[in-house]
Amino acid sequence: MKIIETPKVSRRSFMVGSAAVGSGLALGLNLPFGGPSVVRAQDGSPEITAWVVIRPDDTVVVRIARSEMGQGTLTGLAQMVAEELECDWSKVTTEYPTPGQSVARKRAWGDFSTGGSRGIRESHEYVRRGGATARVMLIQAAADEWKVPAAECSAANSVITHGPSGRRTTFGKVAEAAAKITPPKDVALKDPKDWKIIGKPIKRLDTVDKLTGKQIYGADFKMPGMLNASIKECPVFGGKVKSFDAAKVMSRKGVKHVFQVGDSAVAVVADHWWQAKTALDALPIVWDEGPNAKVSSAMIAATLKEGLDAEQAFVGNSAGDAKAALAGAAKKVEAVYAYPFLNHAPMEPMNATARYTDDKCEVWVPTQNGEAAFAATLAASGLPANKCEVYKIHLGGGFGRRGAFHDYVTQAVRIAKQMPGVPVKLLWTREEDMAQGRFHPVTQCKLTGAFDANNNLTGLHMRISGQSILTAVRPEALQKGMDPATFQGVARSGEFEFGYAGIPNLLIDHAMRNTHVPPGFWRGVNINQNAIYVECFMDELAHSVKQDPLEFRRKLMAKNPKHLAVLNAVAEKAGWGKPAPKGIYRGLAQMKAFNSFVAACAEVSVEGGNKVKVHRIVCATDPGYAVNPAQIERQIAGSFMYGLSALFYQENTVKDGRIAELNFNTFNSMRLAQMPKVESIIMPSGGFWGGVGEPTICVAAPAVLNAIFAATGKRLREVPLKNLGVTLV
Amino acid sequence: MANARVNVPATAMRGEIIEIRTLIAHTMETGFRRTHLGAPIPRNIIKFFVCRYNGVEVFRAELHPSVSANPYISFSTVATESGTLTFQWSGDNGYNATESAKITVT
Amino acid sequence: MKRKTRREFLVNASALATVATAAALPSTAAAQLFRTPLNNMPEAIRKVTGAAQVHKGRVKLNLPPLVENGHLVPLSVSVESPMTEADHVKAIHVFTERNPLPEMISFRLGPRAGRAQVSTRVRLADTQNVTAIAELSDGSFWSDSAHLIVTLAACLEEL
Repeated sequence: MKIIETPKVSRRSFMVGSAAVGSGLALGLNLPFGGPSVVRAQDGSPEITAWVVIRPDDTVVVRIARSEMGQGTLTGLAQMVAEELECDWSKVTTEYPTPGQSVARKRAWGDFSTGGSRGIRESHEYVRRGGATARVMLIQAAADEWKVPAAECSAANSVITHGPSGRRTTFGKVAEAAAKITPPKDVALKDPKDWKIIGKPIKRLDTVDKLTGKQIYGADFKMPGMLNASIKECPVFGGKVKSFDAAKVMSRKGVKHVFQVGDSAVAVVADHWWQAKTALDALPIVWDEGPNAKVSSAMIAATLKEGLDAEQAFVGNSAGDAKAALAGAAKKVEAVYAYPFLNHAPMEPMNATARYTDDKCEVWVPTQNGEAAFAATLAASGLPANKCEVYKIHLGGGFGRRGAFHDYVTQAVRIAKQMPGVPVKLLWTREEDMAQGRFHPVTQCKLTGAFDANNNLTGLHMRISGQSILTAVRPEALQKGMDPATFQGVARSGEFEFGYAGIPNLLIDHAMRNTHVPPGFWRGVNINQNAIYVECFMDELAHSVKQDPLEFRRKLMAKNPKHLAVLNAVAEKAGWGKPAPKGIYRGLAQMKAFNSFVAACAEVSVEGGNKVKVHRIVCATDPGYAVNPAQIERQIAGSFMYGLSALFYQENTVKDGRIAELNFNTFNSMRLAQMPKVESIIMPSGGFWGGVGEPTICVAAPAVLNAIFAATGKRLREVPLKNLGVTLV
Repeated sequence: MANARVNVPATAMRGEIIEIRTLIAHTMETGFRRTHLGAPIPRNIIKFFVCRYNGVEVFRAELHPSVSANPYISFSTVATESGTLTFQWSGDNGYNATESAKITVT
Repeated sequence: MKRKTRREFLVNASALATVATAAALPSTAAAQLFRTPLNNMPEAIRKVTGAAQVHKGRVKLNLPPLVENGHLVPLSVSVESPMTEADHVKAIHVFTERNPLPEMISFRLGPRAGRAQVSTRVRLADTQNVTAIAELSDGSFWSDSAHLIVTLAACLEEL
C-alpha cells in the first residue's frame, strides 16, 4: 500500500474547481448547473471535502497537512478523520497536499507547520470536522439516490445502510454524487466516549515501508537528469566567501559547476554526490571570517557567568517578594547549573532537490513545514506563487531543525537558478550538518532557596543567564525585549505553567546574553534545561532540610492538582517510599509542557562512583486526550533516548568562532543496549489537548540526575555528564 | 555595498515611460526594538526620498519604520528631455544622501 | 481595537470561494496563536481619506502569499490610470493592520510618472492584511488589500 503519495493533483482540475463556476474547462470536470464544482485528484477520484478523497474501490485518501517525522502524527491525524468519516480503516491511505495547492485554495488545509507538539492538538477539531462533513455528504448522496430521509441512514466501515429497508451501498459508489453536494456547515462531532478508532493503539500506516526499505527520504530522492551538489558555508557564523579557485577542481571527473551560493557558501555540482563532495573538499576557498572569528566557549561561559549576578534581568514569573524572603531567610541554599549548545543531529542530513526555469520552480524536500519551505522557494526563486511548488518528502528526523529554518531550500533554489532546467539535489555532509545547525541555546542558571526557621521553603530565585532564541529567530514575538520562550516550564500560566504555586515568594528571571551561534528549536526547547534546573534544585532543597523529595514537592503543589497527579502516578508505580532492590536508587521530576503534564521516576545503579546504569524509568503523561496510546508510549521512549543521549554525551562547543564537534565521534548517542526499560502511564484527564512529541523529553534527565545523587551523594550540575567523568553503562 | 545605487536607462525616446530602481544602504532602525538589557533602541530611519528631473520634483516617497532595511524603491517617470535625475534621501539624525544619473533623450 | 479571528481574515481577503471544503480554519482556543495585536489602521486611513468613500478596484496590490519571517517582503502597487494632467494618481498609501504603526509608505506621483506603478520592500510583523489606497486627481480614493502569511509566526505558538 503506497502510504504517502505526493499528489499530483492536476493543476487544471483543481484550479477550475476552485474558480468561479462556469469556466467549463478540464477533463472530467462536472459543472452541474448551479451546484458546486467537483475537485478531483489526479486519478479522477472526487474530493468529498478537502480532507477526504474516495476512490471507486472504496479506498479513502486522507489529506494530511502536517509532516510525518517518525512521531506518528500522520497516523493520528488519519485516525481522527476516519473516526468521524466511519470508513473502513484497512482501506485508508494518506496524501500530502502541496503548499502551492493550499495557497491557491486559500489554505483549505490550515496550518502546515509541524512543531511545538501541535500536530494533533491544534488540528484535531477541523480535521475531525472534515471527516464528519464528508460522512454527512456521503450519507446524503445515498439517501438522495434511495429517495429516503438521510436521518434513516447510517454509515459504518465505508458502508451506508438505510435502517428501515436494509438497503446498502458503499462510499465508493456514492462518492461522485456526494462530491456535488453543498457541504453542510457545523456538523456535530462525536462524543469522545463514542470513539472507536481514536484512543486505540492502532498500528501506524508508515511502519511497513520503513521496515522494508521502500520508504523514500529526501536523501534517497532521484529524478531523471538530476545532478548532485555538495555545499560548504563559512564555518564561522556571520562570515562570507572572499574567493575560491574553481579551476583547481573543474577538471575532476563528473564535476560540472562550482557556484557561489548567496554571500557565504560555495557549492560543487557533479554527476554523483561523492564526486561533488570530494571536489568541494579539494576546492581552495578563502573566507572572510567576519567579526566572530575569535569567539570561544570559554568567552561565552564568562559572559553567562556575569549574567548570573547582573542587576538587570527580564522577569518571567514572580510572586510575593523573593528578594526580601531571601534577605530574611534563616537558611539559604544556592547552586549554579549549566547546559550547553546542542545540534539536532537528525540521521538524515539537510537536503533539498530543486529545479528552476523562468516558468516554474519546484522543490522536493523533507520539511516540518511545507508552507515555510514554499515561502523560502518563492523568495529564492523570485517567481510568483503560481509558478512555484514544493513537494514534501518523509523526514529522516526533524526535531525542530526542519521546521523554522529552510536555509537548505534557499541554497538548493539558488544553485538550481544557476543551471536552469536541470534538477539538482543538494545534500549536506554530516560535517556541514553539524557545523551549520540551529542550536539549542546555551545557558547557565543560579538558583537560590530560602528557608524559615522551621525548614519551610519561603522563597526561590531562579536566575537564567543565556541565549534567547526568539531574539534571533522571531524578534516580533519579544515582549518589550523579553523572550517568553525562555520560561517554558516555569511560566506564570498557560501551556508551560510552573508546578509549584505553593512557593510564596518567587522570582524567575532571565539575564539575556546572546551569542553569534544561530539558535533554534531543539526538541522540547527550553524545558530541557529548565526541568534540570528546577527539578534537580528542588531535590537539593529537599535534601538540605532532610525531607523526602516527593513529600517536599507535594507540600508545594496543592494548587497544581494535574502536575501532582502525574507525579503521584510515577511515584506509586515505581514504588517510591518502599525499599528499592539492592543497589537501585530513585529520582523524580515533573513539569508541564506544551499543555501536557509529565513526570518521571528513574531507577539507576552506580558503580565505582561514576558508571551509571539506568534500569528503568516510569513515566506518566496527561495530554488531555490520547489519540493513539501505543504511539504515545513510543514517543515517550523515543524522547527519553534523545534526552538521555544529550544528558550523557552531547554538547557543541565553539572554538575560533566555529562549532568544534563535526561528527558522531565527538557528538555521541546512546545505544540500544543502554536504553532503560520504560514504563508508561498514559492518563488523559480530558477537557484539554496537550502535546505528545516533546513534553516527556524534559523529565528523564532530571529524574536520572536525582537518582544518581541518591546513589552517590554527589550532585551533578553540568551537562553533558561525560565532562564530569560519568559514563553510561 | 556602495551607499546608494540607482538604475536609470542611459538613453530613452522622448515621451517614453522609463522605470527607475533605487537602493540605499541604511539600517532603518524602527525604534521598537530593545537591547538585550531591555533598553529601547532609538528610531533611526530614512523618512523622505525625492527624485528631481532637471530640478523639477517628479516623484517622492514618505517612508516609515515598516520599510525594510536598505530601502529599495522603484517607480516610473516620463523621459521628457535630456539632463540629470537627482535622488535625495533624508531622515533622522540629520541624515542626507544624494545620487544622480544622466539621461539622453532623443 | 477590534480583534479579528483568523477565520474572519481569510473570509474578508478571499475573492474566490473554495468549493467542497467545509472544514473552516481553526477557531479553537488552542489555535489562537500569539498574534501581534491590531493597530489603529482604520483611523490612519481616515486621516488620509477624510469622510470620502474608499472604492474597491483599479488598484492592484502585489505581495507574496507567504513569507518566512516578514523582514524583507517585496511589495508592488499598480493603479489603472491614464496619468494625464486631467486624470492621474496623486498618491499611493500603503497600510498595515498589525505592525506597530499603520502607515508603511506613501508615494507621491503625478502626470510626469507616466505610469502608476511602484515597488518597494517592507517589514510585516505577522500574518495580516495589507491595504493600498490610491488618491486620484479627482479626489476619489480606490483600494486593494492582500493577505500575507508569515510562516514563522504560525510556527511559534503561544509561549
